[in-house]
Amino acid sequence: MSAFTVPQTAGGWATLGLAIIITLLGLPLVYMGAELAFLGGSWYYIIVGLAVTVAGILMAMGRVAGGMLYLAAVAFTWLWALWEVGFDGWGLLPRVFGPTLLAIGVLLSLPVLRRIQNARTLTVREIA
Amino acid sequence: MMSTPPMLRSFLLGATIIAGMSCTVALAQVPPAEQPPGKDNATVPPTEPAPLADAFSAPSPNAPQGPGVNAANIPDGPPAEPSEATPMVEQVTANPAHDDWPGYGRDDRATRFSPLNQITPQNIGHLKRAFIYHTGSKPGPGQVNKWAAETTPIKVGDGLYMCSALNDMMRIDPATGKEIWHFHANEKYESIPYTAACKAVVYYTSSTVPEGEHCHHRILEATLDERLIEVDSEDGKVCEGFGWHGMVNLMKGMGESVPGFVAETAPPPIVNGAIITNQEILDGQRRWAPSGVIRGYDAETGRFLWAWDVNRPHEHGEPKEGEHYSRGTPNSWAAMIGDNALGLVYVPTGNSAADYYSAMRSPEENKVSSAVVAIDVKTGEPRWVFQTVHKDVWDYDIGSQPTLMDFTRPDGSTVPALIMPTKRGQTFVLDRRTGDPVLPVEERPAPSPGMVPDDTRAPTQPWSVGMPRLGFAPLKETDMWGMSPIDQLYCRLKYRRAHYVGEFTPPSIDKPWLEYPGYNGGSDWGSVAYDEKSGILIANWNNTPMYDQLVSRKKADKLGLMPVDDPNYKPGGGGAEGAGAMAETPYGIVVSPFWDEYTGMMCNRPPYGMITAIDMHTQKVLWQRPLGSARANGPFGLPTHLPLNIGTPNNGGPVITAGGLIFVAATTDNMIHAFDIHTGKEVWNDVLPGGGQATPMTYEYKGKQYVAIMAGGHHFMMTPVTDDLVVYALDNTN
Repeated sequence: MSAFTVPQTAGGWATLGLAIIITLLGLPLVYMGAELAFLGGSWYYIIVGLAVTVAGILMAMGRVAGGMLYLAAVAFTWLWALWEVGFDGWGLLPRVFGPTLLAIGVLLSLPVLRRIQNARTLTVREIA
Repeated sequence: MMSTPPMLRSFLLGATIIAGMSCTVALAQVPPAEQPPGKDNATVPPTEPAPLADAFSAPSPNAPQGPGVNAANIPDGPPAEPSEATPMVEQVTANPAHDDWPGYGRDDRATRFSPLNQITPQNIGHLKRAFIYHTGSKPGPGQVNKWAAETTPIKVGDGLYMCSALNDMMRIDPATGKEIWHFHANEKYESIPYTAACKAVVYYTSSTVPEGEHCHHRILEATLDERLIEVDSEDGKVCEGFGWHGMVNLMKGMGESVPGFVAETAPPPIVNGAIITNQEILDGQRRWAPSGVIRGYDAETGRFLWAWDVNRPHEHGEPKEGEHYSRGTPNSWAAMIGDNALGLVYVPTGNSAADYYSAMRSPEENKVSSAVVAIDVKTGEPRWVFQTVHKDVWDYDIGSQPTLMDFTRPDGSTVPALIMPTKRGQTFVLDRRTGDPVLPVEERPAPSPGMVPDDTRAPTQPWSVGMPRLGFAPLKETDMWGMSPIDQLYCRLKYRRAHYVGEFTPPSIDKPWLEYPGYNGGSDWGSVAYDEKSGILIANWNNTPMYDQLVSRKKADKLGLMPVDDPNYKPGGGGAEGAGAMAETPYGIVVSPFWDEYTGMMCNRPPYGMITAIDMHTQKVLWQRPLGSARANGPFGLPTHLPLNIGTPNNGGPVITAGGLIFVAATTDNMIHAFDIHTGKEVWNDVLPGGGQATPMTYEYKGKQYVAIMAGGHHFMMTPVTDDLVVYALDNTN
């Protein structure tokens, strides 16, 4: 059985779209973040890049864990951003604004993910 | 050197929706041209520059000047010997009438302070457009936009006088904007150097032509195509007694050149009867570019007086037949200022030609580049030199006009002083008589010997520790910015990929280096304003780093970098503000803003432009704030329409009025702003039809105070170009 399933609802499609976007945003973070860490810069990007990429893939597979992982990454990002620049508006903007917007989307997708996950568990049980 | 203006738009958020996605799209793109090549830069050793028979000779010393170089075909006559100027009568700028603005910096001290007080922070809400005057100069169809008028009109009595970006001169009615006369300079497009600009005309009262006769009062300008022109202030017709039919050819003695290589954009000061000329030489072209010679001409007759030529230090006459002024010497393009009492002209110098490579400069050049040089206007002999950067390879040439002041020492004694703002954001205060610092200057260690073989950096650099710095702390990785984590990460990478050890990071070949504050940093040609009574100094300045890299000659050829006088030169193939061939040196130079080239946003965090008020009695900052909003800037060049006070790059100076106001445009939000001088609060602004990259001025006429700003825009700042002079007045006065 494939880990990926074709969405059945509008919410399912939106969640898949969000998952793909998150994955695509995670990849450059991994790629460039690796070079940055190699050059002696911050390790934040490669770590969070990996987390976000995995989160996106899990979400595409219809796993609640994917959404939770993304939310955890954003929570970590907030802590890191405050540590790096404090309560400086211009400094916080690039670090937390976009990720937080996406986190709202992920929050909204959690019920959808839960439904897909439950449905699959059910299907698996039926087959069993 | 003449890196006047620079800077792109800023950037900004609006970002929101496109949060990160933009970047994924961007990553698929090919990098824009003219980025530093990075690690793959040629590692082959540079080829030696071709040895020259005479190091200070032109490419071909006896070559005639190219067609169009002597624009008006002014006959040259035999080389002139040094002589002295016709004695001068007191000029209007010595003690300006309270309602006038008779010179570029208003008065002989370039204070940019007006005693007018009709407009105040209380009634400024009534400040409305009175009229718009069109100079008639803007890019024609098919012409590459090289416009940035940068003009400040002057006002004397019944006349408002100004020049257009292409050096037409005009007198207009101060109340209505009606044109009284218009002098056509007939300047060619080819004569535009980096920028078509004319900062101001000069008002001169003759000592030999009696009152009431033609050319008793004259309007003088120096042009892009290297002429001095004097016309009568009443009818705008040339002064036949000046030069050849009212014109002097400043290309005489300059040797080989092409149109646009040598130009004047600043008003030449007249000191004790001597017109002093400097000239901007196009940056980054070749080591043996035309000379940076400073010359004196008689204001009455246009007769040559003297030359100060760095590598011919003891010859003050014009070069003999077949010779020319020493080439590649530091050029000065900023507005100079004179001192009639001391008989000096203060020349803010730039750098030797080929800004980023110093191994081929003479010891004489190394003494006077990026410095203030005080020259005796009788003889052309320098009296003192104060250097602001030693062996400059960062294009930290001085763009600002010095402002004169009387400095009171703690013991109550007064020193005739000079304030010299710089692109470094270091503001030096010097004794005008000796050039000695009035406020402490420290020589601090700088990275040495540098990264380029056989081109060692100076072991120390001067810091004006007694004055607040117009700048921020050195950049850190965490200062990198963007709209999203992805473009911020990209900038952090760019930061880490470059060499950076602070302000004097030496140029490098193996990878880019970060130049910060950058050649548009600190104070550029806008200069400062100073209220002598309150002792408040106002400066607006930039915070815009650059990303530079030296490239081998081979690589430079591959990039198509060629000097402007090369027969194969193509416009756009390298120029003053971007990459340059630096022909006749082992390297070319690639210069770009330190930005995310995909989004067009700067890599460092805002603000990118600031305005600062300094109390000169205590040398403390009274207030400081970002200057300019994000309304006309944004990612991908899109305006955000957000009134966020982000602080944009700015070019153009401030003006102080006795009404307690500061007027400044300059920003890339295309606005003119007014601030309360005591609080720094923005009390008024207006959207201009074009970019306000000019210094405003104010005058009173028939009982009404006006504020004028040239909204000429700026090609490099990417602000809209117009030919509009916008003039404001209170709508509730009569």
